[in-house]
Amino acid sequence: MSYIPGQPVTAVVQRVEIHKLRQGENLILGFSIGGGIDQDPSQNPFSEDKTDKVNGWDMTMVTHDQARKRLTKRSEEVVRLLVTRQSLQKAVQQSMLS
Amino acid sequence: MFSRNHRSRVTVARGSALEMEFKRGRFRLSLFSDQPEDTELQRKLDHEIRMREGACKLLAACSQREQALEATKSLLVCNSRILSYMGELQRRKEAQVLGKTGRRPSDSSSPAERSPCRGRVCISDLRIPLMWKDTEYFKNKGDLHRWAVFLLLQLGEHIQDTEMILVDRTLTDISFQNNMLFTEVGPDFELRLELYGACVEEEGALAGAPKRLATKLSSSLGRSSGRRVRASLDSAGGSGSSPILLPTPAVGGPRYHLLAHTTLTLAAVQDGFRTHDLTLASHEENPAWLPLYGSVCCRLAAQPLCMTQPTASGTLRVQQAGEMRNWARVHGVLKGTNLFCYRQPEDADTGEEPLLTIAINKETRVRAGELDQAPGRPFTLSVSNRYGDDEVTHTLQTESREALQSWMEALWQLFFDMSQWKQCCDEIMKIETPVPRKPPQALAKQGSLYHEMAIEPLDDIAAVTDILAQREGARLETPPPWLAMFTDQPTLPNPCSPASVAPASAWTHPLPWGRPRTFSLDAVPPDHSPGASRSVAPLPVQRSPRSRGLCSKGPPRTWLQSPV
Repeated sequence: MSYIPGQPVTAVVQRVEIHKLRQGENLILGFSIGGGIDQDPSQNPFSEDKTDKVNGWDMTMVTHDQARKRLTKRSEEVVRLLVTRQSLQKAVQQSMLS
Repeated sequence: MFSRNHRSRVTVARGSALEMEFKRGRFRLSLFSDQPEDTELQRKLDHEIRMREGACKLLAACSQREQALEATKSLLVCNSRILSYMGELQRRKEAQVLGKTGRRPSDSSSPAERSPCRGRVCISDLRIPLMWKDTEYFKNKGDLHRWAVFLLLQLGEHIQDTEMILVDRTLTDISFQNNMLFTEVGPDFELRLELYGACVEEEGALAGAPKRLATKLSSSLGRSSGRRVRASLDSAGGSGSSPILLPTPAVGGPRYHLLAHTTLTLAAVQDGFRTHDLTLASHEENPAWLPLYGSVCCRLAAQPLCMTQPTASGTLRVQQAGEMRNWARVHGVLKGTNLFCYRQPEDADTGEEPLLTIAINKETRVRAGELDQAPGRPFTLSVSNRYGDDEVTHTLQTESREALQSWMEALWQLFFDMSQWKQCCDEIMKIETPVPRKPPQALAKQGSLYHEMAIEPLDDIAAVTDILAQREGARLETPPPWLAMFTDQPTLPNPCSPASVAPASAWTHPLPWGRPRTFSLDAVPPDHSPGASRSVAPLPVQRSPRSRGLCSKGPPRTWLQSPV
């Protein structure tokens, strides 16, 4: 079974809440994001965290630029992300076994 | 012929003019002998010289590049410390000679200019973000290009260093777990941070650097350290200690380059994380150049002594509220921004609640004596604080004129300290005593940020399940379809490679301040039981990709990364 880009999928997610840091006049998160629906996934040197939602905005079908804009809104001090990662599946399985 | 004062390094020839002057009582021998603080500094200097000899020997004996990097780092740190101690010794000697000659010892010192109290400064959680460009992925496609970096911190004559960290393009930040404490610091301190880096691979292997440049880099001192060496050699001539010869670096040995620096002062101190700008000191031609984002994030805290130690204590009589005649006898302790009045002197130590606490802060006004003097009660002082529209005044009686003087003096000193230490006197900033650092262990390949984070079972259930799965050999069932998102792409050999979203310092209020950490499986929200899985509703299909770029272009060719 493989994943077909563009089709709906159900996944285990994790909620992360980050308060932005103040750097001069800007609020920054302090990390970098890569990818987007307009990017070539085979060039991804990492294979962890994929972001599903940012502050309620759907991120599964966004371009790199749209993703960056959603994360860097000046008016928002707190960013709430829903992310998915490979190790979550193992965690779920372990909790179901016990 | 010579009489030698064994406590000092001064020799005085018998019958010399200098000895005659001593006998006449014109100069004191102690003028030329070392003060106790100087012998301490001399001892530290001797220790660093011995350490440096050891580091040189170790460097000569190293076979592996990574050992050589550690040894070179120790050498660099020893050299810096030697230069700074020598400079400080020289400065102290000059100050002694300038200060004492021309003034007779019988002169009483003029009313001392008030000097602020000392304090402790602690810097921790240092993190330097990196900014890898797309082009990085196309260079050195085979091997991962690696760098060794560390931070050197200098405050006054004290130098401290962090551990050495190996950096490659999979890291998004350089994070140092060290926590460094400087003591006996004044409010006018300058804490200089310097980031040094070196290539882990042999510099000769670099395709780009021309041979001439490579040999020049490996056999010469960096410009700023060269200048310092010359300055110290010039000034060190008269100190009487043996001249310091810097060793010629081993050919082909690792060379650290200054990548960036910055200076932090009292204005940067805050009880929380702050980001500061870094001045970048190297450019792309330098073999050790790293793409730094240009800032450093850290927590710089300061505890002035006036906040943590009592500055005055003694017996007082305080007028009880509403009772004109009955003045209670208390033991007053002035500490930080409060004057605590305890029933008994012992209560201050046993943690008993004081009878009364009077706030002493920047807005407080203190007056001695006569205006508020109750009849028959001399030696009083009054302390007034304004709370909103009300003004609350406490009147305190001291035991004698001298006691009143010394309380007033302590209060004036406290007000002065508060004006100098500014925000550090609003509330006490917590400082953790740094744990003694473990000696650098056998350098295994350091992986990602995730490897360096401590695993605490209460927080990170995923990490625990990993460990359990390995131990029990739990087999996975058929993997669910969404996992294909991860497996269909080329992964790095190390399965725990770092995130494309590396966590920043996350502040979530339930936890007291601690190192940045990621939460797994929502321990916090009340409506969510830990360990349960959550599924996302099927994605709304109505959202279609914008036709602007997507359908008309061919398959995407880039992998962009942006800092947010």
